[in-house]
Amino acid sequence: MTQTADIAAPRLGLTQIPLARGFVTVAASTIVLVILCLIFAPSAVSYGGLAGSLPFAAVIAIVGLGQMLVVQQGGFDLSLAGGVSLSVVMVTHYPSGDNAQLLPAVMIAFSLAIAAGLANGFLVGVMRLNAIVATIGMNALLYGVVFAVSGGVPRTTTPLLAQIAGGKTLGIPHSVFFALAILALVTFVMKKTAAGRRFEVIGANPLAAHAAGLRVRLYQAMAYVCAQLHYCVAGIMIAGITREPTAFQGDALLLPSVAVVVLAGTSLLGGRGFPVTTVIAAFFLNLLSQFALSVGVPFSAQTIIQALALVFGIGVYSIQWRRQNTIKEKSKMEDTDNA
Amino acid sequence: MTVIDTITASETGHNPVTAPALRLTGVTKYFASVAALVDVSVDIYPGEVHAILGENGAGKSTLMNIISGVLQPSEGKLEVAGDPVSPMTPSRSTELGISIAYQHPAVLNDLTVLENLRVALPDEVFAGGDSLKIARDMLDAVGLHVPLNARAADLPVPQRHLLEIAKALAVQPRILIMDEPTAALDQDATDMLFARIRALAAQGTAVIYITHRMAELRQIADRVTVLRDGRMRGTSLANDVTDQALLDMIVGRSLVSAFPPKAVGAAATINFAVRGLTGKNFSDVSFDVGRGRIIGIAGVDGNGQAELMRALAGLLPYTGQVLLNGDALKADTLSRTAAYMPADRHEEGLAADLTVRENATFTALDRFASGGVMNRSRELADVRDIFGQLAVKTPGLDAKVLSLSGGNQQKIVMSRALLSRPGYIIADQPTQGVDVGARFEIYRILREVSDAGTPVIVNSSDAAELEGLCDTVVVMSRGRVAQVLEGDAITEERIVGAAVQAETHAPNMGEPTVQVQKSRGGWRHLVQSDNATAIPLAAVIVLLGLYVFGQNANYLSAFNISNILLLATALGFIAMGQTIALLMGGIDLSVGPLAGFLVVVGSFFINDGQGASTIALGFVLMFACAAVVGAVNGSLMRYANFTPIAATLAMYIGLQGLSFVLRDGPGGYINFTVMDWLTWKLGPIPVAFIVLIVFGITAEILLRRSRGGWQLRAVGSDEGAARRLGVRVNRVFILGYVAVSLLTACGAVMLMAQIGVGDPSQGITYTLSSITAVVLGGTSLRGGRGTFIGTILGAVLLTEVLNAVSFLGLSQAYQYFFQGALIVVAALIYATARSRAEAPT
Repeated sequence: MTQTADIAAPRLGLTQIPLARGFVTVAASTIVLVILCLIFAPSAVSYGGLAGSLPFAAVIAIVGLGQMLVVQQGGFDLSLAGGVSLSVVMVTHYPSGDNAQLLPAVMIAFSLAIAAGLANGFLVGVMRLNAIVATIGMNALLYGVVFAVSGGVPRTTTPLLAQIAGGKTLGIPHSVFFALAILALVTFVMKKTAAGRRFEVIGANPLAAHAAGLRVRLYQAMAYVCAQLHYCVAGIMIAGITREPTAFQGDALLLPSVAVVVLAGTSLLGGRGFPVTTVIAAFFLNLLSQFALSVGVPFSAQTIIQALALVFGIGVYSIQWRRQNTIKEKSKMEDTDNA
Repeated sequence: MTVIDTITASETGHNPVTAPALRLTGVTKYFASVAALVDVSVDIYPGEVHAILGENGAGKSTLMNIISGVLQPSEGKLEVAGDPVSPMTPSRSTELGISIAYQHPAVLNDLTVLENLRVALPDEVFAGGDSLKIARDMLDAVGLHVPLNARAADLPVPQRHLLEIAKALAVQPRILIMDEPTAALDQDATDMLFARIRALAAQGTAVIYITHRMAELRQIADRVTVLRDGRMRGTSLANDVTDQALLDMIVGRSLVSAFPPKAVGAAATINFAVRGLTGKNFSDVSFDVGRGRIIGIAGVDGNGQAELMRALAGLLPYTGQVLLNGDALKADTLSRTAAYMPADRHEEGLAADLTVRENATFTALDRFASGGVMNRSRELADVRDIFGQLAVKTPGLDAKVLSLSGGNQQKIVMSRALLSRPGYIIADQPTQGVDVGARFEIYRILREVSDAGTPVIVNSSDAAELEGLCDTVVVMSRGRVAQVLEGDAITEERIVGAAVQAETHAPNMGEPTVQVQKSRGGWRHLVQSDNATAIPLAAVIVLLGLYVFGQNANYLSAFNISNILLLATALGFIAMGQTIALLMGGIDLSVGPLAGFLVVVGSFFINDGQGASTIALGFVLMFACAAVVGAVNGSLMRYANFTPIAATLAMYIGLQGLSFVLRDGPGGYINFTVMDWLTWKLGPIPVAFIVLIVFGITAEILLRRSRGGWQLRAVGSDEGAARRLGVRVNRVFILGYVAVSLLTACGAVMLMAQIGVGDPSQGITYTLSSITAVVLGGTSLRGGRGTFIGTILGAVLLTEVLNAVSFLGLSQAYQYFFQGALIVVAALIYATARSRAEAPT
């Protein structure tokens, strides 16, 4: 028990939050990668290359932020694939090219997302089902709706949506603005509102939050609702970016979403979330794929790179986990030591 | 402060020629930097009952854990029968004939009574004859009359203790350690236990008997050693020492008189009262708190104080009344009215990830927010203010909370309690792990809060602290109020005396005492067993089959039946693997891509025109790759701290990539002869499916009847208890994941026969469908409970449902609907059934 230095109260508050380890790691890796790209694969960081790949980074960032909220609460959302795919087919099939129908379609997509999120939240937060089981089930149900709506056939996207989500302003793809706006919103709510602060506490230690009288289950359930809203926005973005999106667009996003959350330093056991770092990690992961492609790694090996990035990410933070583990182990010991 | 000199063996009347059965020399143990034991040297002789006496936290249990090998001493050595042992491990201590009954029984909830005995005891114990009869005799010997196939989770607390004792007494131990064995026992069981202990000692067993009850010591012990604050206070013959002398050794720590002055004057108005409070482990507790008076709750740990505190904090259900300022509080508002300072700061008091400021304010956030948006300056001002009042020493408001000393961490918890403006404060062990200087600050704060009119209730196992701090002390024993001390009567000696001299036995704590419980019939047992799901699943499979047959006669054609069963065979093998992962409390997301990858590997060797040896090599390679993948998964989890999800997810992505690296599209047609063999049928039934059934039944038997099966379920049920029982946890986990992958390889062989070509995009869906099948089968995701039979039935049902959709003329959407509905509904039914089965005990 080391006694900390005697620093009296008046000096308090001057120190800022030390830069999180995840932010430093991810930002440094990204800078290194950009430099590597400049040397070996300039096309990946050229304007054309970025304009092509950034929209996909933005989509990964948005689903990553959604997944982050669930992972923060110690959960895991496999219904991401179904949620994104459902949103894609809702905004392409329902209007079927008619701009006037776009707004109602978007509203329906959001309503469905909220319903799916509430169902997940009920199963996990209230019925205490295992998050994986509940969201596997929900994923299948969402895909059921996808097929009921679309029959599995793709349909061309609405011009208005292509303009809104796929267009550019000042040379920057709109999807990037969307991702940044969502990032700002998530950061503001989580860091600056009472509800967001409670959300972080509950993720960081649900037992302590419960002992202090916070409504743990309600917040855990709400994480799934907010996550589905993210997936919905991501689906709408994909529908705008891709000319003829398939009914399975969400499948390819599940693993990257988890990878960026883990790379950003959020523990899969729950805890603090890092929205800004998550978005940088999405950019990093996307650029890494571009870099690998440019230097001649076959497309097929892309996922191996993702896997290695994931292992690397977890490996970096496992040191931190180990410290937490020792504390837990100690308290387990105390249980047997209860003299 | 009297210190009795250590008495040497010759002085105790023992024949010095006899070598001690156990000798501890200079044993010291630190947790982090806190000393739990300092320089303990003691000899235990064959044939004696040696009591270890001491207060809570004196180091008794730490000492026992060192002897049993659960903990390693920081310094000092152990000798058993004259031979030094280093390092001691749980399995080594078993080999040396050290037998132990833990205070918290190392009983595995998900295993049956018989399995608990089998996994804990060496096979030789059961070698000579009918194992059921041997187990029955063991239980009869301790008076435990429960069915051998009853699940341990269903046993009430006293019976769990008897089971623990039965395990310890099953072998003729050289050294027997009993840690507070009578805490939960009634008089008859205690008498039986003492008779057994005396008999064993007469046969030459050295018995170490840990207790804090002097009455018991008088009944059973030959010699007694007293520990206090981790140090030896002395050893003496039990007959040579008076109760008073022992009490002096146990207590007597003089604290510098820096306690804040107590309340003075006549009885103040009552602002908090408890009336007839009854709950888990405590009953009929009543007391009043006058304004400005601090109430202390005392007693030996585990006598209901902790549960009482939790109930008062609104965290445990209770009956009775809690009155604040004369108004009865509603149970569901308690947790928001009370401010609870938990005993386990790290577990329940602090969020380690968050900063000092965030930890201090998280119950008071609404006060600092306007319209939901936080006002940072208001928050900072209040935090600075409270930190100033409490003299919190921190390097900064945004420092990590764990960088603070224990005392300052506790002050953060107190800051939060005060910032939330509570109705009353429940402080459970407020000075545990707190340095001396900060302790007195905490006393001062509690006194100030109490003076300001907020009721304060303190639970502490440190009697000296209660003496100095409290105006009233309620001493609890076995869940009831043993004595209430007031004013000058509050002395450390009276508190400890009231707690350790209370002779109440046979607690009535809402739990049945040891009793015969033979009423259970075979049917009830079956319903509660892991395989209970088999019958309803089989019924659903048959009914669904008949229904679809009614709609479309082709459904039950020989062709379709064999088609369903072939598909179910591949899924069944993979789901069996997944069952093992879930039994260990983990999960394996990589089974799907692994199956696909193995098919791709096989497609390079098992082709038409290849020689038999090449084809054989292909099969060998498939299984070898699987074994490597399983070993990597298990090692990542056990040695690199990956969660099961993280490790197998990374493996999932990696294997998918590898498949595409090996083949960028379908290619490598599988040898027709091999495929014919694999899909060979007897009538409509594929032989492979029969093999699956044989595998399933064999695995089920191994799971219930072999040491490996018990160990597998033991680590999934309770890793800590399994380790204490000597199970090599890491090895079991890694071998378990290898088994998962090998069963997946069996599934991959069947998958290969179905698709007939190496296709890198195939197989991935098996991850989700295998989990679905296992959940349908009724295996618990919490680990420890599962069934291979149920899993296979789950695989058949899932395949049948997906197949039925096309026969019913439904669109593809229904395949998804049914699959999703099946898993959610099954999970809900099983979860509800289990919680209902667990609720009334």
